[in-house]
Amino acid sequence: MDRKKSEKEPRELPESHEPQEGAHLSRRDFLEGTGAALGVAGVAPRLGVAESRTAVVAPQEAEAVPRTRIRLTVNGTEHRLDAEDRWTLNELLRDHIELTGSKIGCNRGECGACTVLLDGEPIYSCSTLAVWADGRAVQTVEGLEQDGELTPLQQAFIDHDAAQCGFCTPGQLMTATAMLNQNSSPTAGEVREALVGNLCRCSNYNAIVEAVLASTGSGGAP
Amino acid sequence: MSQEQASRPLEAMNTVGRNVPRIDAYERVTGKATYTRDVRLPGMLYARILRSPHPHARIRSIDISRAEALPGVRSVVTHETHQLIYSSGSVAGGRQYNDAAKDITTHLRYMFDNPVRYVGQPVAAVAAVDRHVAEEALQLIDIDYEELPFVIDAERALESGAALVWPEGNLALDYQNQARPMVRRVGDVSAGLQAADRVFEDRYTTAFVQDGQMEPRSALAEWHGDKVTIHTPTQGISNCRHDNARDLGLEDHQVQIVCKYMGGGFGDKNGSYYFDLIAATLAKEADAPVLLELTRKDDWLGTHGRWHTIQDFKVGVKQDGTVTAIQMHGYSGMGPYLRRSGGISGIEVYACPNTERIIYPVHTNRMVSGNFRAPSDPQGFFAMQSMMDDIAYKLGVDPVDFAKQNMLRPTEDVRFTNYTMEECIERGAQLFDWQGRRRPEPGSDPGPVKRGAGMSFMMFRSGVGPSSAILRVDSEQRYTLFVGVTDIGPGAKTTMALIAAEELGVPLSQVEVVWGDTDRCPYSVGESGSRTTTQTGYAVVQAAIDLKEQIAEAGVPTGDEVLIASATPTPSTQGRRRMCFGAHFVEVETDVRLGHVRISKYVAVHESGRILNPLPARDQIRGAALQGIGQALHEDLLYDARNGHPLTAGYYGARHLTHMDAPEIEVTFIETDDGFGPYGAKTVGEAGIILGPAAVANAIFNAIGHRMRDLPITRDKILEALS
Repeated sequence: MDRKKSEKEPRELPESHEPQEGAHLSRRDFLEGTGAALGVAGVAPRLGVAESRTAVVAPQEAEAVPRTRIRLTVNGTEHRLDAEDRWTLNELLRDHIELTGSKIGCNRGECGACTVLLDGEPIYSCSTLAVWADGRAVQTVEGLEQDGELTPLQQAFIDHDAAQCGFCTPGQLMTATAMLNQNSSPTAGEVREALVGNLCRCSNYNAIVEAVLASTGSGGAP
Repeated sequence: MSQEQASRPLEAMNTVGRNVPRIDAYERVTGKATYTRDVRLPGMLYARILRSPHPHARIRSIDISRAEALPGVRSVVTHETHQLIYSSGSVAGGRQYNDAAKDITTHLRYMFDNPVRYVGQPVAAVAAVDRHVAEEALQLIDIDYEELPFVIDAERALESGAALVWPEGNLALDYQNQARPMVRRVGDVSAGLQAADRVFEDRYTTAFVQDGQMEPRSALAEWHGDKVTIHTPTQGISNCRHDNARDLGLEDHQVQIVCKYMGGGFGDKNGSYYFDLIAATLAKEADAPVLLELTRKDDWLGTHGRWHTIQDFKVGVKQDGTVTAIQMHGYSGMGPYLRRSGGISGIEVYACPNTERIIYPVHTNRMVSGNFRAPSDPQGFFAMQSMMDDIAYKLGVDPVDFAKQNMLRPTEDVRFTNYTMEECIERGAQLFDWQGRRRPEPGSDPGPVKRGAGMSFMMFRSGVGPSSAILRVDSEQRYTLFVGVTDIGPGAKTTMALIAAEELGVPLSQVEVVWGDTDRCPYSVGESGSRTTTQTGYAVVQAAIDLKEQIAEAGVPTGDEVLIASATPTPSTQGRRRMCFGAHFVEVETDVRLGHVRISKYVAVHESGRILNPLPARDQIRGAALQGIGQALHEDLLYDARNGHPLTAGYYGARHLTHMDAPEIEVTFIETDDGFGPYGAKTVGEAGIILGPAAVANAIFNAIGHRMRDLPITRDKILEALS
């Protein structure tokens, strides 16, 4: 695998959330990907099973995990660190910078609970390698509140009860923040379209859309 | 109040009945809410589970030596190293804490079983210094499987010659260890069918629906000597503690369960499973805290969802529209382990004097079925009320009139604490404009986009029962409420605080809630069965009454003094049924060229007693109704019958609703106070999911003139029906 490819062009994120062929895949990405693909093909999904492996990591290799020195800004704070090449951005944030606000609902680009902003664009941090964030600015849900002031969107989420279990909320907030930065007076349809990649199994969709609209001043009372 | 006394609007009380933001809303919108995987302990290891790739196989050998040799691996456990039984191996949910069942059942549920009976069943687990090493170690476990015959179809599983999931046969054992169907007979169904002028027969089927809560299961276990602390998303910390203690061979006080925030439950997280045991076992072996994380696919296949059903009906009707007999013979696909009864409800809401319901809970080599929000109901109501809707049209009767003619009403024998079924239906019909939107002639729109309207109605238990609360006041007049609730989404913590503030007559800001920790909180019934508000909430009322009396007697505490009150009330309705009521009205637009269904109007009317906090109550109904629409139109777990493999595990595959799929749900509450529960509050959480599938299916029939009898009603099925 050509691990250098992603380092050379860190700003070229793949359009889709599927791991790119040739890019460095973590074992989990590999397994999840093959499991899903093989399942559709009607062949035994792999489910982490040790049969007919193609890329077994020998024990001695597991110790020497390649790392890359990266520099990135998270919620305005600059971080320089040696990231393991296999870390996702979500792992970097949650496990190594101790920002646990973004959540892992699926770790495979289906649910959007891990959404953060990368240079202002909403991305799935579960499907973005940490090294791809080199030189870039990340904003997480923890970075919305400034000096004890919630954003109007956060306040609207409170007032309109837009969080039920709250697990998808960080992702909904980040995608909606990015959308509002582009379009300060969206219609309900535009909000739904923008947030389509953020699932809410509590299915609190009505309240989320109402909250986003209310934060722009165009929504009614709760 | 008399049973049918008309309800009137209730005045808001001081705190209760007004829209109050959740007391933890700030934490939820800033990323500060601490879910299980957000907890970090020093020296914590990460664990992963290896799962069966076969629907049915015996493990001939399992070799963990290569995995154990991988640097960074601290512990590997398999069925050869640990034979723990989870949920104590009892046979049926609802009795899952029944110790006697453990002694008699032959279907024990092992943490790691051999043989494995479904794709996704755990066979081993690894704890390592990080999750990548743990994942790599899974690849180094060598297993020799002997593949066994398997069965996927629930009906076929009962035919002779079917592959056996268990040696005793594929009909599930009941709690007395007997292989027999669940039978409920009222009156004489044969006589009722003979007395009918017309008899209608049909088969309906419903698909498996995965709860699919956003937070996958995980468990973080840490031992302190012979005590273990388990951080785990559970819908009931008290029951979870008791179950884990028994399964680990400990006393209750040796287990501490902590669950502060939880990313949804819907029944997926009630009842204990193997996760907590695996984390505790690995932590013991590795002598370090262990965080076990389930992947989404692990969670999808390794937990449970709503049981799929096959339902055969015979309904007898007089010429005047009176239903004289209802017979339903059903199959519930339970997977290889019985986590819940497999019940199918729906007949009970009719006054029909002759009914027979026979349900076969069947074992297959699919994944396990279990609780999902109103476990027995949406699938049963879909079939029963599709059947009745069909009969109404065949008799040329308005389905609303047919429902009102045949629904269960209060009698001297059937007593309710109050009854608002008719009021819910009439209010819904009016708000929806039933007369204007329904097509008297189904499928009569010229098309290609045809509109139609459908409705359904329900009553659902809203029982009373025991739970506990402790309330303390200090000299600063700070009130601390200790309740063993977790907050899975409906806002239990806030509701408990509201009730305390109301009863104490103090501002909400003076009440602090201690929750989600068995070392700090008394018993609570748990966030399942829609019982927290009615049962734990009632305990809060009683504790507050006690504390007020203490304050009246002894005065407000001074200095370091505190006053403490506790309550464990055991209320009773003295034989009366306490139910919540609801009616849903749906209009759809069906594009007959594409088979596409769009919900163009959805009205939900509910009577759930007094509504304590209107905003989250409304959103319980809206969210549940949308989940019902998902069940009606999208969700399924398809299996390849040739190899026993699941094909649509995950959100994309199952097509759970997105923002783009979600119509606006219009919710109206009819408020009452029947004198039970906290200020007359009844259940809300499960009620909203029951009616969607039936109402949507009936609306589709009204739009296209073809009865859709199999959930989910996907485009291909509609196009096939129309072709």
